[in-house]
Amino acid sequence: MQERLAEYRRIAVFGGVYSNAPALHATLEDARRRDVEAVFCLGDMGGFGPHPDRVFPLVKERGVLAILGNYDESLAQGKTDCGCGYTDPRDNHFARISYEYTFAHTSVENKQWLGALPRHRRLRLGSHRVLMCHGSPRVINEFLWESATPAGLLKRFVREADADVLLCTHTGIKWHRALDTGQHAVNVGVIGRPENDGSTNVWYTILTAGPDLSVEFVPVHYDFETLARQMDQEGLPPEFGETVRTGWWTTCLENLPSKERSRGKF
Amino acid sequence: MPSPMSLPLRMGEQAAGHAPVAPFLRFSTLWVQITGTWCNLECTHCINASGPAEPWLRPIKPEVARNAICQAEELGVKEIYFTGGEPFLHRDILPLLDFALQAAPTTVLTNGTLIDASMAEELAVLATAAPYSLEIRVSLDDTDPERNDRVRGAGVFDKAMSAIQLLHQRGLLPIVTATEIARQDDAGGRGMHERFRDFLVSRGIEKPRVKIMPVFALGRLARVGGPVLSEEDLAGFDRSTLQCSESRVVADGGVYACPILAGLPGARLSDGGLEASFRDAPLYHPSCVTCYQTGMTCKNG
Repeated sequence: MQERLAEYRRIAVFGGVYSNAPALHATLEDARRRDVEAVFCLGDMGGFGPHPDRVFPLVKERGVLAILGNYDESLAQGKTDCGCGYTDPRDNHFARISYEYTFAHTSVENKQWLGALPRHRRLRLGSHRVLMCHGSPRVINEFLWESATPAGLLKRFVREADADVLLCTHTGIKWHRALDTGQHAVNVGVIGRPENDGSTNVWYTILTAGPDLSVEFVPVHYDFETLARQMDQEGLPPEFGETVRTGWWTTCLENLPSKERSRGKF
Repeated sequence: MPSPMSLPLRMGEQAAGHAPVAPFLRFSTLWVQITGTWCNLECTHCINASGPAEPWLRPIKPEVARNAICQAEELGVKEIYFTGGEPFLHRDILPLLDFALQAAPTTVLTNGTLIDASMAEELAVLATAAPYSLEIRVSLDDTDPERNDRVRGAGVFDKAMSAIQLLHQRGLLPIVTATEIARQDDAGGRGMHERFRDFLVSRGIEKPRVKIMPVFALGRLARVGGPVLSEEDLAGFDRSTLQCSESRVVADGGVYACPILAGLPGARLSDGGLEASFRDAPLYHPSCVTCYQTGMTCKNG
């Protein structure tokens, strides 16, 4: 029997909140003005930013439909590592600081809430069958960068998932690929950290059903100075605040493919 | 007179059938062992004893590489690597990189000595036009020229540094790859990583990329009777972390489980077809212990 899926015409989707409550608030306000039927989060509520518990009331009150990210999984299971999938010592150094802070400042109740999130979501957007995941359909922390994700692999993912549209996040940089099969893959970006392009805004995605799928990336401007000040006050590495204030990544750079790395400052 | 690889070729090969295995989980990475063990250098720690003499593992023909890449694309490969020997000795290396880059992000592992300004320019043109990232990994074993050249050969440090700078000037952002062979007080890990990073910055490389690899006891460093893995060792160990659970290598003689063991009969999983090699890989070789202990991967990250 065919699975009955929730059906929508227009949705907002974002990933990686990274404890950025001001950006989450601004994103939800923006999405409300754009008349979406539902808002989805592809995981990673915490990490990087200050006061991780501040994002949960917003997510719950606004009925955001979330799935599990690797950070959420680690927090919920009490792991000692964020599971971001870095292999470089410098990346892991900063990841460790961020995770230890987030773990210590996330309540037990919120950790339990994270642990109950599903790993995937399926829905219909008009006639399009959509699969949502955090990293990739097969691995929660797999990085799907635009310049390092072959079309052949994306076709395999959608074929194996029996879907027409694949939505993912995890890398922190958005992209959209329309496959020659008529299917789509979209990395919806993150709202917790700017995109390493020298702009302080973050991005989310609006998807609208039609004869073909419409994919719109939406910039979100928020009070980044307040966030950066809070990060400083909480004793988070100055490199994190610098990223928020400048829009250039200063950490977690080492696993960027060359095309993406060459566009950044560092 | 036995060849340089005759000892490691024999060592443990008969035990492959009884060894514990790494289950095949998914196909992510294709390695193309393009020049076999044909190299212009003779590094003291080379994992497959490559050198300028008659190679014990022969280069593969361009059509073999193209065929493997086509199969890999069809099977949903995520990334492709070219290695050897020295890949830039292969006369078709540029068209083959171009071909691979139409299918997937592609990395080439090189000693850098054959990359002059003209080659760097050609690589930059290729990388700019490609839909996917081209990564160039240049080997350097120490930040000190003398210590590096003791391992890699006289004058190699200067040539490799020249390649790194030529590539970086053209926006190619090479990944400098070092083994822990010449390790100093920083004893590998983050200390060694930082030393290389600082060194590259001091040489004008604004976006330094560094990968550190362990030393393997095979090739020119092969020992007789090194320990091998048992089922007991692997109890409770997550075998999905081993790269042979998702990588395959096309080399002379067939498809192998591991880029380090390419050419060794015990690591051969198929005579040619890529999909036929999608089966459990025997963890029979002393080198498997290094992957198990260090969690290393030959991939970029």
